[in-house]
Amino acid sequence: MMSVVARSGVLTSFLRTTNHAVKSLVLTRAKELVPAAAPGGIRLGHTDVKIPDFSDYRRTEVTDPKKSSQGSSEERRVFSYLVTGASTVLGVYAAKTVVSQFVTSMSASADVLALSKIEIKLGDIPEGKNMTFKWRGKPLFVRHRTEKEIATEAAVNLGELRDPQHDKDRVQNPSWVIVLGVCTHLGCVPIANAGDFGGYYCPCHGSHYDASGRIRKGPAPLNLEVPFYEFPDDDTVIVG
Amino acid sequence: MKGIRGISKLSRRFYAAARTGQSLTQPLAGLKLSPGSAHFYQDVHVTRLPSGLVIASLENYSPASKIGVFVKAGSRYETSENQGVTHLLRLASSLTTKGASAFKICRGVEAVGGNLSVTSSRENMIYTVDCLRDDIDTVMEYLINITTAQEFRPWEVSDLTPRVKMDKAQAAQSPQIAVIEALHQAAYKNALCNSLYCPDHMVDNVQSEHLHQFVQNNFTSARMALVGLGIDHAVLKQVGEQFLNIRSGGGATGAGAQYRGGEIRLAGLSSLVHSAVVSQSAAAGTSEALAFSVLQQVLGAGPHVKRGSNTSSQLIQGVAKATTDPFDVSAFNASYSDSGLFGVYTISQAAAAGDVIAAALAQVKAVADGGVTAADLTRAKAQLKGQFLMSLETSGGLLEAMGTQALTEGSYSSPEEVIKKIDNVSLTDIANAAGNFVSGKKTMASSGNLIKTPFVDEI
Repeated sequence: MMSVVARSGVLTSFLRTTNHAVKSLVLTRAKELVPAAAPGGIRLGHTDVKIPDFSDYRRTEVTDPKKSSQGSSEERRVFSYLVTGASTVLGVYAAKTVVSQFVTSMSASADVLALSKIEIKLGDIPEGKNMTFKWRGKPLFVRHRTEKEIATEAAVNLGELRDPQHDKDRVQNPSWVIVLGVCTHLGCVPIANAGDFGGYYCPCHGSHYDASGRIRKGPAPLNLEVPFYEFPDDDTVIVG
Repeated sequence: MKGIRGISKLSRRFYAAARTGQSLTQPLAGLKLSPGSAHFYQDVHVTRLPSGLVIASLENYSPASKIGVFVKAGSRYETSENQGVTHLLRLASSLTTKGASAFKICRGVEAVGGNLSVTSSRENMIYTVDCLRDDIDTVMEYLINITTAQEFRPWEVSDLTPRVKMDKAQAAQSPQIAVIEALHQAAYKNALCNSLYCPDHMVDNVQSEHLHQFVQNNFTSARMALVGLGIDHAVLKQVGEQFLNIRSGGGATGAGAQYRGGEIRLAGLSSLVHSAVVSQSAAAGTSEALAFSVLQQVLGAGPHVKRGSNTSSQLIQGVAKATTDPFDVSAFNASYSDSGLFGVYTISQAAAAGDVIAAALAQVKAVADGGVTAADLTRAKAQLKGQFLMSLETSGGLLEAMGTQALTEGSYSSPEEVIKKIDNVSLTDIANAAGNFVSGKKTMASSGNLIKTPFVDEI
């Protein structure tokens, strides 16, 4: 028998009404009108959109659509993680370098640092002679000691010193003594090769220092200060 | 030698005898087929469960399956307290159910690329779901939830109001919908006069309780049919037995439709006047209904050639003599389970409306007076058969045919049987049908600029 609602020619569609709850594919040439607001969810599939061919950028292991990609997944994953990890390490190192370069640029510049050191050629100083250099705004005494002076200073009894220090604690190379030429009493500059002990004599208040720069007589409380110095070779010393 | 020949024939005889009980249209049970083997042709299987639920299915080996739940819960079963509840019910198919939330249903159906929709006519409500045949279990679960386990949460129901308004606004755009709804409203006193769309006064007032009540009364096993295309009958039967046997009983019986015959005029500014003049015809399933269907084709029910001159339509040829302005006229035929409407639907310019309607009705009278030749009848029958068979070609049309037959009769008649019945319609049947229309009490609905449109008692 014919269906309950007989065919009504052109007017069949108006004897019933449809609401779509979920419609997954509406072709651009669909004959059936889909009311805009009625469905709970509409997904449109446009068949006129052309997807470009990306095969130039694809990995060869996954180009075959019929083969499962599970087999190559391990090696692809390892490769990706390795590249990512290495890039991360390099990136962190680069970042650290850049940051530290910016931060250290705020420290003292090279010309300032250069002023803090002095390089002295020892060949110019004969034995027994004391040379004075300006270093960091203060006079620097470099004395080439004779054998007799070295022996004398080494034999001094520490009990009779106001500021007991053995000679070998004050010099690296016994024939060269390098001290700051500032009297520890009130800051005058002592005169070399003067005084009762064969060293220095401060004319302001009468402090006598010996050939090692130690205070022997007079109001000064401490020995002459020994700066940091090193001998890069036998003929040169760098102080500071 | 004769004896030896007889022995070989004997074995063949035994083989043939063993196979007589086996239908050739059902696959052999218990046989494991290799994937590449040919499929067996299958018929439509229909089973009626003891609870009244009818299960119909056809295995057509299509890659996409379609399942429909047909319920006798159309707008004719609305009462005066819950007018518009079927409209809300249509929209409520996407709301939360006991087994799945609204989001889960939408996401789940979309994830398998399926469609879920609900269609309602005055008699039936049809829930359809379709997807690829491997995913049918997933969407079947959602379909069962939507038809049997609805929750109709009050806040979700009240959120449907804007969609109701949108549906109504879109229906108002189409003058055909307006005229047909008005036609039914004018023609009947109850049941079939209910509109498919929610009436204005009920738009905000249909509550969750109305929906629950309506479902309780109408969604019973005896009034439901589960229909499937591209699915095994045993599987569908199991689903039906397990899940759709929820409410027994026949539910509230709808009142019989009472035809009254009236008129509704929808005045408007449109220069095109849409007008339908009908009178009561026969209930669906009767031979008179079939005669009306053939009469519809005799008179002309739409063009068969796109942008053609419609030479085979008697109505068009008759009206063309009455006016030179653009017009359209077709025979209108709607059959319901206990009543039907048959008449003419005209679209004409405002000034020529009266002439067009008069000419159309005169043509029907001419048919009633015997103005149909045998050639016309053959042509009309061929057109009806063609239209019917071509509607079965789509999966949607086939599902609907199977479903409505399962719901109303509990069985499926093959297309061949229907064709035979069409062939049995005679010229006298046509003339009688046309005469019924001419003499019956008329109902009319018109819309547009109605200055020249006659009233129903003037035609």
